[in-house]
Amino acid sequence: MLNETVLKQVMATMLNVNASIINEDSSMDNVPSWDSLRHMNLVLALEEEFKVTIPDEDAGNITSYKLIKLVLNDLGA
Amino acid sequence: MIQIIDKNSSLDEAIKSITKTDCSLAELTRAVELLEGESYSRTLRVGVSASITADLFDIFLRKHGLLNGAKVNITKGNYADPIGDIDLFTQVGVEQIVLLPFFDNLLPSFETQLESVDPSIIDAKEAEMRQLYRMVFEKARSVSAIYLGTFHRLGVPFDNSGLDTVAIVLERFNAALREEAAAFANVSLLNTEDIVRVVGHNAAFDMRFYFRSKAPYTGTYMNELARRIAAAARGFGAHFYKVLALDCDNTLWGGVIGEDLLNGIKLDAHDYPGNIFWRMQQEFASLERQGILLVLVTKNNLADVEEVFRKHQNMVLKESQIVAMKVNWQDKPSNLRALAKELNLGLDSFVFLDDSSFECEAVRQQLPMVKTVQVPAALSDYPRVVGEIKSLFLAGGIAADSKGKTEQYRQRAGAEYFKAQFDTQEEYLASLKLKVELTRNARISSGRISELSQKSNQFNLTTTRYSVAEIENMMSSDTHAVYSLVVSDKFGNAGLTGVIVMRYEGTAAIVENFFMSCRVIGRGVETSIWPRVVADAMQRGCTELRAAYLPSAKNAQVGDFYNRLGMPMTKESECVQQYVMAATDISAPPNPWIEMTYVE
Repeated sequence: MLNETVLKQVMATMLNVNASIINEDSSMDNVPSWDSLRHMNLVLALEEEFKVTIPDEDAGNITSYKLIKLVLNDLGA
Repeated sequence: MIQIIDKNSSLDEAIKSITKTDCSLAELTRAVELLEGESYSRTLRVGVSASITADLFDIFLRKHGLLNGAKVNITKGNYADPIGDIDLFTQVGVEQIVLLPFFDNLLPSFETQLESVDPSIIDAKEAEMRQLYRMVFEKARSVSAIYLGTFHRLGVPFDNSGLDTVAIVLERFNAALREEAAAFANVSLLNTEDIVRVVGHNAAFDMRFYFRSKAPYTGTYMNELARRIAAAARGFGAHFYKVLALDCDNTLWGGVIGEDLLNGIKLDAHDYPGNIFWRMQQEFASLERQGILLVLVTKNNLADVEEVFRKHQNMVLKESQIVAMKVNWQDKPSNLRALAKELNLGLDSFVFLDDSSFECEAVRQQLPMVKTVQVPAALSDYPRVVGEIKSLFLAGGIAADSKGKTEQYRQRAGAEYFKAQFDTQEEYLASLKLKVELTRNARISSGRISELSQKSNQFNLTTTRYSVAEIENMMSSDTHAVYSLVVSDKFGNAGLTGVIVMRYEGTAAIVENFFMSCRVIGRGVETSIWPRVVADAMQRGCTELRAAYLPSAKNAQVGDFYNRLGMPMTKESECVQQYVMAATDISAPPNPWIEMTYVE
């Protein structure tokens, strides 16, 4: 079962925002600091934290909280 | 109160996080941000200019800054725009620059194009690349240090000889980078092929982000790159080691000379374990040749140690390579203190190597400023440990003039021996046949002048440090002059050992700083050079000489220097003493025993 508290913490750290503003609806469109460069480091951090390898085609596309959750759940995180 | 405890324990946690090797990126980011909230005596602005996306690098450079006690503020350049980046960096006042060019990116998928592309295109690319970096270096002259990553290959060679087209062109481009960088003393090269080799090709690259975002490197690569930059920057100014203090038994040879005797100790080119000690002695000897001072600090009978040095047929190190020794039964901290005094060097320039946990702990406890290293229990690990010691001394580069330092320090010791044979100090000095060559704006020596400004602590009137670029700028400006002096005597040439930095402002000639290497003090050199410096100033129309002494923890010995020069003090506070006098009043004591020459 994906630990969403940890997920929110990692996202907050890597996107340089307060953990309280990360929620189900967070995405690249509504978190101003979530740019393509931070996104790359976010993917690396998620891989390390949940010990998964995010496939190439997903890595660039998981640009919202919901999509990240979906992919991590699929990978069994 | 509870909050304070919480804060301390979370700081401890953060320190643990940045120290361990398997820290995740999120944990590292949190730890670095937390630790950067503390106050640091050293903060440093570093510009990072890369021809790839290198955002991941920042957190690792900041980490290695913190590990060395410095807070690193990073200014990011734009993607593949080194010239624009330098403009940006100089605007915000960066002190150091990291330049990361990328071979495969010089043209799209450059490595795969090399076989098929017309050679004239490769030639043109090389010429353009040279031109670009020449301009970059020229623009960045005022920056104190530039770390330039060389080119490495992204793919793996399939030709077993390792000499395929990519390897050949790569070597040619790296040679071009080296050539362009050679003209600029503030540029240091970082061998990135070696980083790839050490971390492993597979661990170094993440191809997903290379094709998507031109971000080829993993955190593992970035961490090693940042670690090497911190080492090359001498811990971002944290240390400047000059002396290696060595124990003898089980450090220079295996066994205990007092018990195992000359034929029983292990020291041998071929057989284990003597071959490890023999190899380590080769390493120490090579450090000595590169200007590092070797001293012995060992609990032995002097006669035993001398016997090994003189009679053991496999001994690599010679007594002449040891600048000073304390072979006695006193505690090692006291011996190290005495050696520091003898050599006129601070204890923070010492690295101490010993096999005994007890001795290492004693030095760590009493002399925390000494870098203490223990010979590992597993002897096969000894070469790695000595490798780390070498990197402490050598990662920052060694100026050519530093080589053969032992020779110069020994000359000084020899001169002290001669001291007793003369009735008066003047007779003695006259017998030395001292020669001082004073040069104004010796551009060729700017590297050594900068190095001396970084190293001199005791004879340094204001402790202002200068980068090579600053020295060069002052040499070419109308408002400054940099005098340097080379001292020689019948024992040998002491090299460039003193510097005066002058600034001219209207009718005032201001001594910005005066610093000398301690090894030429006490011979009247420090006063003999002033008439010429003041005469130059008067020729420019200056009528007044001004100077200041800024006390530091180490420069008390020159507290009365300007007084000795006959300058009246006009203002005194805790942090500065100011002196002013009419230029015509300068009457430095005559030192007839010194032969002065002056080079414009």
